Amino acid sequence: MLPEFFEFYNSTRVVYGSGIASDFKAELDFLGIGKYFIVSDRIISDLGLTKKVVDGLTSAGIEVTGEFLDVPQDSEVNTVNACADQAKTSGAEGLVAIGGGSVIDTAKAANILISEGGDLVEDYSGAHTLTRPLKPLVVIPTTAGTGSEVTQVAVVYDKDNKVKMPFTDKFLLPSLAVLDPEMTLSLPPKLTASTAMDALTHAVEAYVDLQWSPFSDTFAIGTVELIFKNIVQATKNGEDLEARGSLLIASNMAGIAFSHSMVGCVHGMAHAVGGIFRVPHGVANAILLPYGMEYNFEEVKDKLAKLAPIMGEEVSGLSADDAARKAIEAVRKLNGTLNEMGALPLRLREVGVSEDGLPEIAEATVMDGTSFYNPREVVAEEILAHLKNAY
Amino acid sequence: MGLFESSEKFEEVLGGFFRLVADTPSVADKLLASKLIIRFTYKDPDVVLLIDCSGDKLDIRPGDTETKADVEMSMSADIAHKFWFGKVNLMAALTRRQMVAKGPIPKILKLLPAIKPTYAMYPKYLDENGYGQYNIY
Repeated sequence: MLPEFFEFYNSTRVVYGSGIASDFKAELDFLGIGKYFIVSDRIISDLGLTKKVVDGLTSAGIEVTGEFLDVPQDSEVNTVNACADQAKTSGAEGLVAIGGGSVIDTAKAANILISEGGDLVEDYSGAHTLTRPLKPLVVIPTTAGTGSEVTQVAVVYDKDNKVKMPFTDKFLLPSLAVLDPEMTLSLPPKLTASTAMDALTHAVEAYVDLQWSPFSDTFAIGTVELIFKNIVQATKNGEDLEARGSLLIASNMAGIAFSHSMVGCVHGMAHAVGGIFRVPHGVANAILLPYGMEYNFEEVKDKLAKLAPIMGEEVSGLSADDAARKAIEAVRKLNGTLNEMGALPLRLREVGVSEDGLPEIAEATVMDGTSFYNPREVVAEEILAHLKNAY
Repeated sequence: MGLFESSEKFEEVLGGFFRLVADTPSVADKLLASKLIIRFTYKDPDVVLLIDCSGDKLDIRPGDTETKADVEMSMSADIAHKFWFGKVNLMAALTRRQMVAKGPIPKILKLLPAIKPTYAMYPKYLDENGYGQYNIY
């Protein structure tokens, strides 16, 4: 049965190639501007990744009007304001974001202010508040997890109101996403594993969520296959460009999937675990993914059954129930393999979560915006039972 | 031309319904728990309704454009009318820009299960209050 309504929209041009992050003038020419401002962070800069891009731009005759490198781990409104002010003063006509989710979200939000002016939270937080295209934004991801280079979403922390403000808008889609596996070579094994598991969670949740569509399903399935085939190799051998590239593409495809169908209770639990116990998002998602799949089992077992063979499981002759359980087993086996490699914890108690904090996590999961999209109603007592299993 | 002939009429119909919701504890208590102040700005005809959930009782304030709201929702009066029949997919309406929502959207989405019972209340309210001509969905 098809959904009652869906929309598929992605205006971001995506290019992939090893080394392309220092050679994408041909793609920039289509954007019709020549002055770009760089948004990144100190770690990326210290790794030499920012310089690699800037050198490529300047040698191609593109003017780099300045750099903002003060993006923290979680972007916040003051950071966005400072970034926008500097970019505007520099005379930039567009932005190049080099980094992970926080850098990309900072650049997206700053682009609103550079293009439209005004107050970020007062004027633009919410859904589809923008009415026209923003200035060109080029994104070069340095992790393979968030997929933010192809999503309509930016999340920025509002310190004054102590709340994470979501911005959802078609006009937040970057103009160009440059996927270069060489930009992810410096990711250590633990981050490689957890960011890829984040992308896998995006895909699985996008696949089973209420707002699914045949389009998001296709991208989600492609993601699952790429991640299962490459995550162990990329974690084991970080120099393997084929595996790195596959994860980068998978992250991108998962971004397209969940930008349309959103995520569910696994993210709801992970947001709570991250907010209360500061557990990194990818790690929390990795630990909680099989438990979230179990939570939704009855509602989505037919879909989970279809994922099992894509995850490499043999399902011929099995009932839908048994095939769906194989999909959950496959995620557990993958987590187990990554755990044996020292790249991923398996239990909440291993990452600083206290048992008496579980009820608070369950309550926060219910209140999380993702619960709206989850295929099964998110109920605190039920979630708590699964959190205890994950503990 | 929208379904409602004047701002006064739309404010009377929808404002009356919001007051009915405010007097229905099973729904109102859940809205009050959100503590949100939500301003609805309707077009064709133009009406502003503010729902203040920050106190002990739901406060419905027509024409309040001054109070700082947590969430600002803008839409045509016809879409709003259809919404209260439960006939508008909120996410689809946001995506298609039939509704524009400023503020913390997840908090609004969380209210949807709470207001679900009102979809059955609305047509009944229309019939019982002499607004049967608007009971079209």
